Formats: sequence, C-alpha cells, structure tokens
Amino acid sequence: MKILKKIQTLLGVATLVLLAVGLWFVYNAPEDFQQGGAVRILYIHVPSAKMALLSYLFLTVASALYLWKRSETADILAEAATSVGAAFTAITLASGSIWGKPMWGTWWAWDARLTSMLVLLILFKGLMVLRNSMDDPVKGARATAILAIIGAVDLPIIHYSVVWWRTLHQPPSMAASGNAGVHISGPLLPPLLILSGAFMLMGLYMVTVKARQIEARRRLDALESARMHPDE
Amino acid sequence: MLKAIYRIAWKDVAGDLRRRATLSSMLFFAISVLIVFQAAFEPDRKEALRLLPGLLWATTLFTTLVGLGRVFQAEEEDGAFEGLLLASVPRGVIFFGKWLGNLLLTLLVEFLILPLTLVLFNVDAWSHVPAILGILTLGTLGLTGLGTLLAAMTRGARSRETLLALLLLPLTAPMLIAGVQAIAGVLLQNGAVEPWLKLLIIFDLVYLAMAPWAFGWLVEE
Repeated sequence: MKILKKIQTLLGVATLVLLAVGLWFVYNAPEDFQQGGAVRILYIHVPSAKMALLSYLFLTVASALYLWKRSETADILAEAATSVGAAFTAITLASGSIWGKPMWGTWWAWDARLTSMLVLLILFKGLMVLRNSMDDPVKGARATAILAIIGAVDLPIIHYSVVWWRTLHQPPSMAASGNAGVHISGPLLPPLLILSGAFMLMGLYMVTVKARQIEARRRLDALESARMHPDE
Repeated sequence: MLKAIYRIAWKDVAGDLRRRATLSSMLFFAISVLIVFQAAFEPDRKEALRLLPGLLWATTLFTTLVGLGRVFQAEEEDGAFEGLLLASVPRGVIFFGKWLGNLLLTLLVEFLILPLTLVLFNVDAWSHVPAILGILTLGTLGLTGLGTLLAAMTRGARSRETLLALLLLPLTAPMLIAGVQAIAGVLLQNGAVEPWLKLLIIFDLVYLAMAPWAFGWLVEE
C-alpha cells in the first residue's frame, strides 16, 4: 500500500500530460468523411470500453488472489477496481449512446455489445451492493470475490449469446487481422492510441486513489470498533 | 453421496409439501405475474402465441426468485446451517442437495403454470407442451443452480431478496435469451431450436460445475 502513496502523484501528472496530448491530437485530427465531427466521440468511447473490460480483468485477478492468498491488499484492489470499472462502463454506455443518435438514428439498440455492456454495469453494481450489504466484512469480501469470478466466466457466455441474438455494432476497427469490415484509417489512429494509453494511466490512478481511500476507511472502522469494544 | 443429496433434497421438498409454504406462494405469485401480463398487454390469440415464450420465461424467472428467497429458510434458526455443514459429506454434495430440493419445487410450479398459461391466454399450443416443458426444464437446471449459489451467497445480507434479484437477473441473460428463442422456434416450427438448446446446455454445465466449488469456498470458515 505504501508504494501506492509514492506513485499516486506521478501517475496523476502522467495521466494529465497524456490526456492533454491525446486531446490535442483529437482536436487536430481530420473529420471522418461519413461521420463528420461525431467521430471524435469515439476517441473517448473506445478507450473507456477497453478500460471497462480491463477493470473487470483486474478485478477477477485480484479476487482470485484474495481467495487464494487471503491477502487484504488484493481485496482492497478488487473493491477499488469495482467502482472504477463501473465508472468506465457508464462512460462507455453514455458516450456510445450520444454517438449512436446521429450515426444509427437511435440512442439505444439491443445489440450484442450494448447489451453485454449494460449487463456488465449491473454486475459491477451488484458486486458493490453485495459487499455493502454484509455486516461481516470478511464474509462480504469472500462473497464478492466469488461472484466476481462467476461473472468472469459468465461474461463470455453473455457476450456470445447476445452476439447470436442480434448484432448491429461494427466489428473491432483496430484489430490487425480484421475481416473485410470497417477499418480505421491512418491519421485517425494516433489520437486513439494515445488516449487509450492515457485512459489506462487514468484507470490506474483512479484505482490508486480509491484503494488508499478504502484502506483508510477500513483502518478507521477498525479503530472505531476497537474504541466501542475495548475488551475484545 | 447420491443418498446424501437425495436426503437433503427430500428434507426440503417433503417439509414444504407438508407446510405448502414455498410451493403455494410460488404458485400464486406466478398467477399474479400472469394477471399483470394480461392486464399490461391484453394480447389477442395471435399476439399471445408470439408473446408466449417470453411470458413463460419471465414468469418462471420471477417465480424462481420467490423460491430462492426461501432455499435456506429451514436453516435460518438454531444454527441449523452450521449443523448441515457438519454433515460428513463434501460441501459440494450439500450444495447439490439444496439445489435438487429447489429444482424439484420450481419444476413442479412450472409444470402447473404452463397449462394454466395456455388456458388463461387462450393459446392453442397443446401439441407442443412436451417440447416446451423439456426446454423449461433444461433452462431451470442451470437457473436454480446459479440461484441456489446466490441464495447461499446472500445469506445473512441486508435486504437479501432485492440483492438476490439484482445479482441473478443479469447473470441469467444467456439462459433467458436461449430459452425464449428455443420455445419460439418450437412454436413457429422454423427449425432454429438446436443452437439455442446447445447454449442452454452450456449454461447448465458451466453453472452446475462451478456452483459446488464456489459453495465450498463460500461456507469455509
């Protein structure tokens, strides 16, 4: 945990710099010949979506570590990643919706990725509520870790089931070995890559701040209960 | 092992059949859901046929929540849950016992609800009843498996039943999609049933393989 305190400022500054550079590139990037200016929304949308999934991955690893090693640090990081992931998922849904209105002509469609993302948001929320509704913090931590792993197994099934169900969202546009689908063109790529990096740093920064907050709160709770029950 | 599973399941089912507590509340809850759907959509015969798959699954899902809220009710008092855990069988066996009890009650309600739905909504799908029951059963295996695990997970949580719904509904999305599509395929005779059945089987296998293991972690002291 001490290392988090040391890197927090550094991470924060690096995030700010990279965000500023990325946004400068976005501002100067050419407009898409079909999408016009609205394409700029995707520079926020795509990195947030990446971060939403990465946060879940991080959460799964931290949860597994907690169950395996019983390390409180892993549990604190898992709790931090849950709220950060929820935030990025919400940003992904909101920015996608704003982009969808002019491009697809609708705020929302029950498409594979949109549906999976919505389920992901509810899952993050469920994890937060589950932890908070347990009186015994250890039980809460264990139940949350198990649910996170179940969710990790279920998310691919959810994703493929909705893919079979309906698909409107275009295939990934940055993958090198894509099909003959949509591909992102040269000048639009640098801002996307820089912002992806910036969002990754921002995610790490948010997890750091949140984790330190959670640790402080747990220490306070421990002090409080020691004061209330001095003889235990 | 099998005997232990059966004993635990039968303890719950027999107890409930005698008190009729869970069974009757599930049944009447399901009927109220059907009334709500009728009042909300007022489908004519043709619409009712189109709505039927979703209607059946939505009713099943909501009704399952009622049953799941009570899975561990018998173990609530006098440290009975700890007593159950002391049984000299693996924790996974205890899980399967609780799951089987819940599964039997849920299936019983589904089997009663299906003809009732066909009558109340005036749908002529009697020739498809065995296929529909089969699909409902297939989905219910995994649904109650996941549900029993989540019920164990939320044991001792505040506002448990709301929490159970919040956790169960998103995770069952694949089952709901596959189940609805499979029944729709049967009713419309358009042949697109098999892939959805496969998805239901995958869903069942994943949860029934994962849940006993997770249950063991969950109740470990």
